[in-house]
Amino acid sequence: MRTRTAIAALTALLSCEVPSHAQSASPLSSASPLYREVIDETGRTVRVPQPVNRIISLAPSLTETVYALGLQDHLVGDTVYCDYPPDAQKKTKVGDTINPSLEQIAALHPDLVLVTSINRFETENALETLGIPTYGTDPHTVDAIMSSSRKLADVLGAPEAGVSVAEDMQRHLADLQHRLGAVPPKRVLFVVWHQPLISVGKHTFIADALRLAGAVSIVDSEQDWPHVSLEEVARLQPDFLVFAASHSDSAAPTVDALATLPGWNIVDAVTNRRFAVISDAVNRPAPRIVSAIEDLARQLHPDAFVEKPEKEKDKNEKPAPAPIPPPPSPLSLLSSALQYNPAIAGGCACAR
Amino acid sequence: MRPLTLRRLLLQCSILLVILFGVVVIAIKFGAVPVSLYALGRDLWNVLVHQRAAISSDYVLIIQNIRLPRILLGIIVGASLSVAGTSFQALLRNPLADPYVLGVSSGAGLGAILALIAEPHLNVSPTLAALLTPVGAFLGAAATITAVYFLGRREGQIDGNTLLLGGVITGSFISAIIMFLMSTLSGNLRGLSFWLMGELSTPLQKSIYWFLGIGFLAAAGAIYTTASDLNLLLAGEKEAMHLGVDVPRVRLVVYVAASFLTGLAVSVSGAIGYVGLIVPHVMRLIFGSDHRTLLPTAAIGGAIAVVFADTLARTVVAPSELAVGAVTAVVGAPLFIYLLRRRLA
Repeated sequence: MRTRTAIAALTALLSCEVPSHAQSASPLSSASPLYREVIDETGRTVRVPQPVNRIISLAPSLTETVYALGLQDHLVGDTVYCDYPPDAQKKTKVGDTINPSLEQIAALHPDLVLVTSINRFETENALETLGIPTYGTDPHTVDAIMSSSRKLADVLGAPEAGVSVAEDMQRHLADLQHRLGAVPPKRVLFVVWHQPLISVGKHTFIADALRLAGAVSIVDSEQDWPHVSLEEVARLQPDFLVFAASHSDSAAPTVDALATLPGWNIVDAVTNRRFAVISDAVNRPAPRIVSAIEDLARQLHPDAFVEKPEKEKDKNEKPAPAPIPPPPSPLSLLSSALQYNPAIAGGCACAR
Repeated sequence: MRPLTLRRLLLQCSILLVILFGVVVIAIKFGAVPVSLYALGRDLWNVLVHQRAAISSDYVLIIQNIRLPRILLGIIVGASLSVAGTSFQALLRNPLADPYVLGVSSGAGLGAILALIAEPHLNVSPTLAALLTPVGAFLGAAATITAVYFLGRREGQIDGNTLLLGGVITGSFISAIIMFLMSTLSGNLRGLSFWLMGELSTPLQKSIYWFLGIGFLAAAGAIYTTASDLNLLLAGEKEAMHLGVDVPRVRLVVYVAASFLTGLAVSVSGAIGYVGLIVPHVMRLIFGSDHRTLLPTAAIGGAIAVVFADTLARTVVAPSELAVGAVTAVVGAPLFIYLLRRRLA
């Protein structure tokens, strides 16, 4: 009986006009539940309830994006890996990215669950079986992170926030390209994990982030997370090794400890201590990646940042329209800090 | 062997069913989301008296849509694996035989994966496509047990240790192929851990549960018709033949049905290990080795074991989850070593 009523109600709803993009601008505009059909980045058609009041994020990058869009009050659950911004740690946890608890998700009554390429397709299918809509993102470049954030903002009913976040990213990157000008890119090895040595393939957003920071990955693989042999690294001899550091990861060895690992001394960048350690924001396809790109550019091309210190200071103090974190501390501070406690994450790509 | 009476069989089964019911209640009660016994009782009462409007939406969401289907799946998978293990042990006259140890679960997994890969190219109707995976898993299981059977034969007789070694090696070889396929292919395939460790977390379409239930009853029923013959087979194939057992027919029926049960379980839950090893052993210790009681008690015991293991799998690291296969392996592998040492001593 109840099902029949529900079906009748649903049919009535379906016959209503599907709200267009412009009409669904504010998440609080309509009182009655409506649906909007969108196609997500994996090509699936998703029926998104309107407005989207309760969001669950199943990846740290998606959590960061939701915060960057200023929609954190609608975020009712996230994963145990969602540690940025710190407030995200206080949200109800639904498990990890690989094995979240379906019942915990269902109990939070989400309007929409956000998933990305690190989640398993079983999770999406299971949620679909339970009638919980999921929206998937899959950005492979920094440009795609911008458009993905914009599209997500639109789906979540906050298109202006999306435009402003994307414009902000765009402005920072344009500024950076202007500074870097035509400097020859540094050849780097991005270390995703050091034992076994895993780097990034050319179709990842991290490889793209390296390009924007005036670097080029010595690894040119079709695979996204290729295992690389030390011999190959020694043959290619990168100018720099790039690591992503996270404060939560204390198990990883220090940069100095890495130099003593067997075999690593055949890499000149290791013996000469030519490292760049950047924030683990680089591992997460979210707006904050821009700060990691800027940071890397500063470390790799310090000359490009010395001429106009006042202008740079201006830029740092300019309030950001969206809650993008401020650019990281100046190079001198960061590198001195790293010499004393250079915890490397090796940042598992699985937890981005 | 004490003469079997229907009354004794029913008594044994009902004791186990009461235990299963208790485990099911525990499994319904505990999970990542706390549910109070009062709320549970109230909702169950409302379901019984058809007071649909009074049922809380959390009950429908969590108990009815997530926990109950998962428990049902655990019951079917556990019973299937346990009956398959009992059958393999009788047929191979080796108490350490188990679908997982013999590599049959891996074979079923490989068959299921190949079916999933082939599905888009076969151009079949959706109903048929849904059956492709279990059929592929069955064929994979049947091919593996045949291969392991011949690997384990020495001079026309089954050699217990050679058989086990052959099974373990076959299983690890097939797992390597699965790993290779998983790293070269991507797309809409289940994750690697599913096929190697097994899990019950994904809810299935309603029709699949019917297919599983009917498939289990048919295959387990077929095996049960040979229960007396399996008892005689314990004495040896030649001896059984002299006692009038149609050994080739029994062998065919039991191999096919046990492979089918393994394929059925693996296609929906991946490779959950050691259930088919532990449960028949425990049941044999309690109720004796008469297959007419062993088969049904092992079926219920397998259901109890998997539902209980899965309850642990989804609560110990909540809100994240373990693979249920990891839980059964933690208990099963040491027991396997113990039984192996005792047999060799």
